[in-house]
Order: sequence, then C-alpha cells, then structure tokens
Amino acid sequence: MAAPLELRCWGGGWGLPSVHSESLVVLAYAKFSGAPLKVSVIDNTWRGSRGDVPVLTSEDNTVSQPAKILNFLRKQKYNADYHLSAKQGADTLAYIALLEEKLLPAVLHTFWVENDNYFTVTKPWFASRIPFPLSLILPGRMSKRALNRILLTKGEPPLFHLKEVEAQIYRDAKECLNLLSDRLGTSQFFFGDTPTTLDAYVFGFLAPLYKVRFPKVQLQEHLKQLSNLCRFCDDILSCYFRLSFSGFSPAGQDTVDANLQKLTQLVNKESNLIEKMDDNLRQSPQLPPRKLPTLKLTKADEESNSFQPLSP
Amino acid sequence: MCELPIKVVCRANAEYMSPSGKVPFIHVGNQVVSELGPIVQFVKAKGHSLSDGLDEVQKAEMKAYMELVNNMLLTAELYLQWCDEATVGEITHSRYGFPYPWPLNHILAYQKQWEVKRKMKAIGWGNKTLDQVLEDVDQCCQALSQRLGTQPYFFNKQPTELDALVFGHLFTILTTQLTNDELSEKVKNYSNLLAFCRRIEQNYFGENGKGRIPLRLA
Repeated sequence: MAAPLELRCWGGGWGLPSVHSESLVVLAYAKFSGAPLKVSVIDNTWRGSRGDVPVLTSEDNTVSQPAKILNFLRKQKYNADYHLSAKQGADTLAYIALLEEKLLPAVLHTFWVENDNYFTVTKPWFASRIPFPLSLILPGRMSKRALNRILLTKGEPPLFHLKEVEAQIYRDAKECLNLLSDRLGTSQFFFGDTPTTLDAYVFGFLAPLYKVRFPKVQLQEHLKQLSNLCRFCDDILSCYFRLSFSGFSPAGQDTVDANLQKLTQLVNKESNLIEKMDDNLRQSPQLPPRKLPTLKLTKADEESNSFQPLSP
Repeated sequence: MCELPIKVVCRANAEYMSPSGKVPFIHVGNQVVSELGPIVQFVKAKGHSLSDGLDEVQKAEMKAYMELVNNMLLTAELYLQWCDEATVGEITHSRYGFPYPWPLNHILAYQKQWEVKRKMKAIGWGNKTLDQVLEDVDQCCQALSQRLGTQPYFFNKQPTELDALVFGHLFTILTTQLTNDELSEKVKNYSNLLAFCRRIEQNYFGENGKGRIPLRLA
C-alpha cells in the first residue's frame, strides 16, 4: 500500500475541479485509475511553491509535469490502461502529441494571450489565489511564458505578425477538434467503455475551454458545435467528479452553473427565456449545496431531479 | 511515391530562398512551396494524393501519428544536434558553418544554437538529459513499431504521407554519422522499422526503382 499521495494543483471554478489543464489531466487520471490522492488546492497563503504545478509528493518523491506524474502513478499500480492493446497504446501517444501540437497553442492563447480574456477572466482568477505581492508578478509571468511558447513553436516566418500566428493556430485547433470528434464518434470514451490516459488528456484540455466563461469565445463556440465532445466532458464531470464536489468547490453556485449549462444545451440557448432564467437564478438567494440523489448519465433525469427547487 | 518527376538541387542558401525559411521547398513554374504540410496540400490541389482512400478516422490517426513524429523525433534530432555538447562541438558547428567564411561560420552556428536552445526551453525540453531524450525516442519508435506491426506500410498496402515522413526521419537517423550512435541503436532495436526503411529505399530509390536519388542504407 503506497504512502499517501498528495497533489498540489490549481483550484476549480465554473463547475470544474480545476481550471488548469495540466492539473485537470492528473485529477482525471487519478479518478480513472482509482488512485487515492489527497488534493491540496493552491490558495493565497504562502505555503508551498507555485512554480511547477501540478506537483505530486509521496513520502520521499516529488514529481512534476503531468506525463511524469502519470508514469509514477502507473508504477504504483494505478494504471488505467492495462486493458489496452499495444496498438491502442501507440495511438494514445500519437493523439496526445496531436493535442499538444495543435490544440495547446490555441488553448494557451485563449487563456493567456487574448487581451479581453486575460484581463477580465484569467488574471483576476489566478491573482485571487496568489498572495500579494506575488499576485502582481506571477500571472504576468505565466502569460509571457505562454506567448513565448506560441511564438517560438508556431511563429516562424512568414508568420511574423501575431495576428497571422493567431489565425493559423485557431485553424489548427479547430481542425484538431474536428479530428477528435471524428475519432470519438458515438462511443462513450476513446477506447470503448472505460476511460484511459487519452480520455484524461482530452478532458484536461477540453473541459476548461468548454466551461470557463470568456468574453472572446471563437474556439469555445466551435467546440460547442461538436456535441459528442461536449457530451464526453459532461459525462466525465457527472460520473467522476460529482461526489467529491461538495468537498471541493465552494458549493451551490457551481452546481447551479453546471445544471444551467445542461439546460442550455438541451433547449436552444439563443432563446430569451434561458437568459431570463439565468438572471433570476443569479439573483435568487444562495441554496445550500445539494448532493444529487443518484449518478445518472441521462441529462433528462438529472434535470428533473435537481431543477424543481430552483424554478421560480 | 506519387511518381512525380523531380530534380534535386543542393544549395547553401536554401534556407534563405525558401519562403518560410525552412527546407525543403519545391519550385514549380513560378510557385515556391516549402515544408511538408504545404507541399502535400499543393500536390493534392494538382490532383495527386496518397491518402484519398482513407476514411475520416484513419485520416485522424494519420495526422496524429505525423504530429507524434514531429513532436518527438524532430525535437530529439534537434536536441541531439544542438544541445548535446559533444555533437555540437565536433560535427554540427563545422557542418552548419561550412559554406561560410570565417567569422561568419562561427557566428551563424552560435546564433542557431541559441535559437534552438530557447525553443527547447519553451516546450519544456530544456532540462532534459540525453538519456531522457533517448528514452522518449525509444517510446516513439515503439509506438511506430506497434502501429506498423507486420504490414508493409502504415495503412496496409498503400503508402501515405505518414510513411514518407517516418521514412525521412528514420533514414536520416540511421545513416547520419554522429559522435555517439545511441540514437540509431534505438531505432535498430525495432526490426520491422528497419525492414520498412529498406523496403521503401528499394522500391522508390533503388537501382531498379523510379527515383534518381542514390541512397544507401548501411
């Protein structure tokens, strides 16, 4: 039996256990493989470093970076891939490379480089979780690192100007999303009925893009049109992250947000009625966190179960 | 593989002639197109394509494997050439600076090395040791080997862009002489990849083949 494993990662919001892609990959994999992780969310105290997040510590080992953490968990016998064939394992590596090359630059751009998004959403969120005066420096540094990475890997001539690089990376990202959607098809997870490493990676990259509310949302819009990918994210959230929700996130508001999202997916979200309901709910008094009675994958059931008390 | 007639020309200023700063590039009529991706698109627009017979899922797989090769093999090759001190000192500096007079050869070589190191750091390979890089290469080769299996090409009977890309990288790794041979040893561990390279070399570049480029697989 392994010593207790502790994971430090960025916290959650908007219905997610973490808004940081790499942290989310590790959290998802831990859930899939059944690894008992004690998660400590970075808050604005001075405990611990913020450099290399997510970072896993066991008795005398410290492992950072998702790929190494996943390897470490596998060595500790928490393996979500044991039923995969050799070819499927090879496919996993290939698709992860695809995600990192084609999707990651655009995700980084949406979060850290796009000015509207960065200043209204990303920077305040991260700054609120970092103690002053580090909160003045660290988000800026993370943003610069993201921009650097994009420019160095994608910004080679003739794409000298950032605008052209942006156009190229968003084109690549949309193509990547289409490819993922084609590959997923109608199955529940990428390799049959049980989730694996690839599912963890795809979930980690897609879920923040899908759930976080941004002013500039072109990639998010594209993702929302690929309904099987949206369904994939929602399924994982409801199956694997629902029970530990009340221990995790600040409570009712997030559950309410998640339910609202499902409602807008079912009904046509362009309708005024949805927006009115949205406003009403935000102004209504805070509800205590409720545990949903049963885990069900059908949206309709969860709808009827949890929506009653919220109707005006 | 598309049976298009080409003439190969070597020039020292190839990188500068190319519209994107990268080699290889093709010059057709009054058009210049560089890098594998755009060249494939260009050739496709003219009516020759190797991957028409694939369905959507297979095309997705092919693109994913091409990214894997670009991500792992290409980066490892760059690392070995520019970040491994032994190789840099003995081979890369002299090879890169060869066409230029002193002191330009040193300056350009150092500049390129600095650029590559910066890129490595940005993608997180800056702190990797040579052993870790070789392990990654091994993982990549293992994935390719498992995907290839016993088939002649990656998507069974017909070669595709993926076969061309993999051949290009593996052949270069196998035939380029470096200070240490560990990289090519890693590839040689996988016999089906070796057989794959030989097969393509014989079919497309051999004496009785259709190409005009003489290549030898040692």
